[in-house]
Formats: sequence, C-alpha cells, structure tokens
Amino acid sequence: MLKVDRLGKKYGGRWIFRELSFELGVGDRLVILGRNGAGKSTLLRTIAGLTSRTEGTVMLPEGDSRCTLGLCALEQSVYGQLTVAEHLQLTADLRGCPARIDELLEKVNLDYARSRPASQLSTGMKARMKMAMAIQANPAALLLDEPGAGLDEEGRMLIDQITAEQATRGCLIVATNDPLERRLANLELQLV
Amino acid sequence: MNSSWFREIRAVFMKEWQSEMRSQSGLITGLLFSVVTVYTISFAMLNTKIKGTEVAGLLWVALLFSSASSLPRIFLAEEEQGTAELLRLVARPHSVFWGKALFNSLQCVVTGILLSVLYLGFSGKVVTVPWLFAVCLVAGCLSLAGAVTLCGAIASQAINRAVLSAAIAVPLLLPLVSLGVSGMRVSLNDGLMSDGVGAAIGLVGYACATMATGPYIFAAVWKS
Amino acid sequence: MGVATAWSFLVPPAKGFQKPEMARIFLWHFPCPMLAVFLLMFGAWSSLRVFQRVTVKPSFSVSPETDHAMKSLWDLRAIAAMELGYLFCLLTMATGILFSEAEWGAWWSWDPRQTSFLIVLLIYAAYFALRFAYTDSGKKAAFSGAYSLATILPTLFLVFVFPRLPQIKNMSLHPSNSIVGGLIKGEYGQCVCLILALVAILTVYLFKLRVRAGLLEIRQENNDGQFEHLGNGSAPTGVVRPVSLP
Repeated sequence: MLKVDRLGKKYGGRWIFRELSFELGVGDRLVILGRNGAGKSTLLRTIAGLTSRTEGTVMLPEGDSRCTLGLCALEQSVYGQLTVAEHLQLTADLRGCPARIDELLEKVNLDYARSRPASQLSTGMKARMKMAMAIQANPAALLLDEPGAGLDEEGRMLIDQITAEQATRGCLIVATNDPLERRLANLELQLV
Repeated sequence: MNSSWFREIRAVFMKEWQSEMRSQSGLITGLLFSVVTVYTISFAMLNTKIKGTEVAGLLWVALLFSSASSLPRIFLAEEEQGTAELLRLVARPHSVFWGKALFNSLQCVVTGILLSVLYLGFSGKVVTVPWLFAVCLVAGCLSLAGAVTLCGAIASQAINRAVLSAAIAVPLLLPLVSLGVSGMRVSLNDGLMSDGVGAAIGLVGYACATMATGPYIFAAVWKS
Repeated sequence: MGVATAWSFLVPPAKGFQKPEMARIFLWHFPCPMLAVFLLMFGAWSSLRVFQRVTVKPSFSVSPETDHAMKSLWDLRAIAAMELGYLFCLLTMATGILFSEAEWGAWWSWDPRQTSFLIVLLIYAAYFALRFAYTDSGKKAAFSGAYSLATILPTLFLVFVFPRLPQIKNMSLHPSNSIVGGLIKGEYGQCVCLILALVAILTVYLFKLRVRAGLLEIRQENNDGQFEHLGNGSAPTGVVRPVSLP
C-alpha cells in the first residue's frame, strides 16, 4: 500500500535521514519516534511529497494522491478569514470529493463552531478542523504529525477513534515526541 | 473544461474573494494607491497641456507599478501565512494558477478602469476610439495579471520575496507597456489607426500567450 | 584569436561612417548579440530539461539518484549558458555604446535597438537576482528555470519584433539589413566571419569549463556528505519493528 525504499533527505550539505525503508499494508499503524530535530516531520513531509527527497523512492497508494493521502500536522496553517465549514468546502472542491461537512464536524465535535472564522479558533479546535480535512476523502494513507499536541482528553480519545477507523481502510503513520502515543501504533520506527 | 476543473478553479477564486472581502486590506491599499498615483501625476502636470502619447504613457506606468506591487501578494501571503502547504496537498497546480490569475485579472481590470476614469477626468483628455481603449485596457490588464501572478509564484519562497517579485516582474512587463502605450495613444487621437490596431492585436496575443504558458511554468515550480 | 584581433585592427577604415576607423568596432560588436541571444535561448532550453524530469515523470517510481544527477547537470548547463549569455549582452551594450558615440555623437541616444537590448539586460539581471535569492540548490534550479522560460517570449519580442515594428523602425538609427542586405563584404566580411567563428569556439570551451567546474563542486559536496554519513553516523536512520508496550 505504501512503500518507502532507501529514502534519504539532505539539506544544506547535511543528511536529515538516510537509508530508510519500510512497507505498510492495510491495518498497519506506524509510529515514528525520535528526539527533536531527528527528522520526523521532514520524513512525513517527504512521504507526502511536500519536500523533495534526495535519494530513495516512495510508492504511494494507488490513485490520486489528493484523495488517497491525508496529512494533519501541528505546524500546518489555515486561512484565518475562512470559517470551519468553508475550509471543509474548499478542500472538498479542490480534491473533487463530497464535502461531508455535517458528518465530519459531528465526528470531530466542532459542529458548534462551524461558522466561526479560523482566526477565532483555539489551538485544539484548529487541530480538530485539520483532522477533519485530513480524513475528508477517506484516505488510504493517513499521516499525523504530533496529533495529540494542543488536544484535551476528549480530543485524545477522538485521535484514538480516528486511528482505529483508519486501520480498517488503510495505513497510518504518526510522528511524535510523546512516548504515550505509541498506543496508537502496532509498528514503530525510532529515528537515531 | 470539464466540471471538475471548473469546481476547483471556482473554489480557489472564491477563497481569494472571501479572504479579500473580509480583510479588505488589499482592496483599500489598491484603491488608495490608484487615487494617490493619479493625483500625483495630475499635480505634477498642473497647467500643462499633454498629448495622447504622454497620457497613455503615464497611465501605463501607473498601471504597471500598481499591479507589480499589489498582485504578487496573492502568493506571497500564502507562503508567509504557511497556507501554501495546504493547497499543495489538496489542489492541482493548474487550478491554483487559474483561480489566482482570474482573481488578479479582476482586481487589475477594476484598478485599470478606476485609474483611467480618474486620470482622464483629471487630464480632461477625450477618448476618440473607445473600443480600442477598452481592448488595450482589458487585454493589458489580463497580460499584467497573468505575468505578475507567475512572478509572484516564482519569487514566493525567496528570502526577499516582496521586493524581488516586483523586481523580476517589471522587466518582463516593459514590452507589454510599449504595446499598451502604442495602442492607447491612438485611442486618444495621437497616431495612426493601423499602428493602434497592430498594438491591440499584439496585446491580445501577449495576454493569450501569458495565460496559456503560465499554468505550465507554474506547475513545474509549484511543488519545488 | 590574436591573429583575428590584429586583423580586426588592420582592416581598412570603412567608408560612409562619421569616423571610419571606429567602424572596426563592428567586427567585435556583431558576434556579441548573436551569441548572447543563442546562449540565453539555450539556457532556457536547459531549464526546460530540468523540469522535464520533474513534470513529465512525477511518479515516485523514477530513480531519484538519476533524476537528481540529470537535473543538476541541466541546471549547470543552464547557468553556464546564462552567465556567458549575460557576458555577451554586456559586451553588446559596451561595443554598441562606443559605436553610438562615434557614429551618432552620443553615448546613449534612446535608439529602439539600444533600448530594447537594455531591457533584455534587465530581464537577465532579474534572473540572477532571483537565483541568488534562493539558497537551496533544488529551488534555485526550479525557480530561476521557470523565470528563464517565462522570459523567452519577451526576449524574442524585444530582440526580433520590437525594432522591426513599422512605427519603431523609422525612428531607429541602427541599420537592420547589414547581413541580409549584403552590406558587409570583402575583407570586412571575411574578418567578421573569422571573429564570429573564433568567439563561438571560445564560448563552447568556456561553457564546458564552467559545467566541469560546477560538476566538481557538486561531487565535492556529495563526498562531504558521504564522509559525514560514514564517519560518525550522524544521519539518522532506523528500522521498523513491532511496538512493545511496557
């Protein structure tokens, strides 16, 4: 489903990571652990195609990557002037998939803030909105970067629920600093 | 164009429209720039009888600097706010370029009309060939918008992006200004009609070439 | 090259010029814009080849090592062509300004050809400004390459169309039929052909030298990375294993 072969990324003459290989199938949930600056986020971004790779290959799930790949990252920015519902409509229009606004907002428990501009959302609310956008097209591969950051207890339970659902339709990669988030995975990759 | 492309381009266009209408920063700055430019030119030319060529030249200089300074914002803001990544993840490059170029075209045409009305009003010049004036203005604005949108995208990830986008756009747009002045001066009763028509055809060709090649060049750098 | 230079000073002064002895500058002025335009177009074409690897084969199955090496090579060719092209642009302007003073009595006379070539010079100055504004080599190649592609049409318009526009042509003092009209003949014709051929050969040599120097730089950088990787293992890596919860 998702295959990474001898992947390497070099930036400014320094290797961020090198010789990384793994293959994930349906139901596989991989957690990437490592110290700060180990390259966890860069690895996720490289897999998603947002950063160019220096060597190696990445085979993404079959189909249009706009729909087969979902990414939710802590540092991902959103449009301050657009409301929560408008964000979901925008990403659905661009991906060419159904918007499912009501269903997604109910799932991430953000229905009450659907008409609120993103600039007026808290960090946790933004994280929920980004999660809703990431799972909108039911992606075959879901990439989560620090998914628990900024979330309350209820939000963490939501992450558990979403990752469990993802395991039934595809694979999941979680990059985190938090050892507790190993609970989300059945495989781990320690960047050393 | 099938419905999928239409939906994507409309989504990008509407996003720009909604963001602009709610923040209104670009709109107000653009309007203020137009009024101040026209007033400054008119003030500098106080009590001077100027010919059609000079009117057209000054109008195009105002249009050039107004668009080169304001239109690249559309990409620079995406990079500065970090929202470009969201678009890279969910959008196809051609729809991003088309949506943004259309929004910039609209903005440029509105600015062009406003500048023309104000400037012609201040200078007291009469347009003798209105259709030629309109063709030169609209085709010129479309070319400006296409080229400046592309330059904005090209400079968007650079260190000194705000200055650089205008610096790389202006030399590219100088041939366009030359054509624009050649056409518009004829519409202001200065020069031969055949020269004006030739320049208008050149402007339309420039607009078509910019809008046709822009998305392909943009697609090549979008995920870099 | 020395013989050609000496010959260019020994050809008899051309008749019909304000300062016939200064007409010899034409022998050096003529090859410059030809080579400049050719090199700038070659630079744009090389940039297109950089993109062909990226856009024609976006599939992740393309070997990135080959892709990366090819992109680097074409980017080096593009920058080598652009640098030499820009040098010839500057030489065109310098020799043109000298001749302008000798023939028309002013260093700068707003002649349409002089003016349009100055804009070409500005366009390529913007290319280098853009290149310097990016630090990452991949971005440097991609963004400056995109700009060089975007400049093709304006450059062709400025060099070939603008000076020949009916309303512009009559304003120009610059001759436009020196070659086609057969105005260069005899010893002048032979000398100009020799200089053009020699300068072209020298350009090819300099171009190859620049590309080779660039390749050596890349190889050096790659070796540094290799040493870093092998030396202290600072490039993070890892293997996937099942999660073992405490």
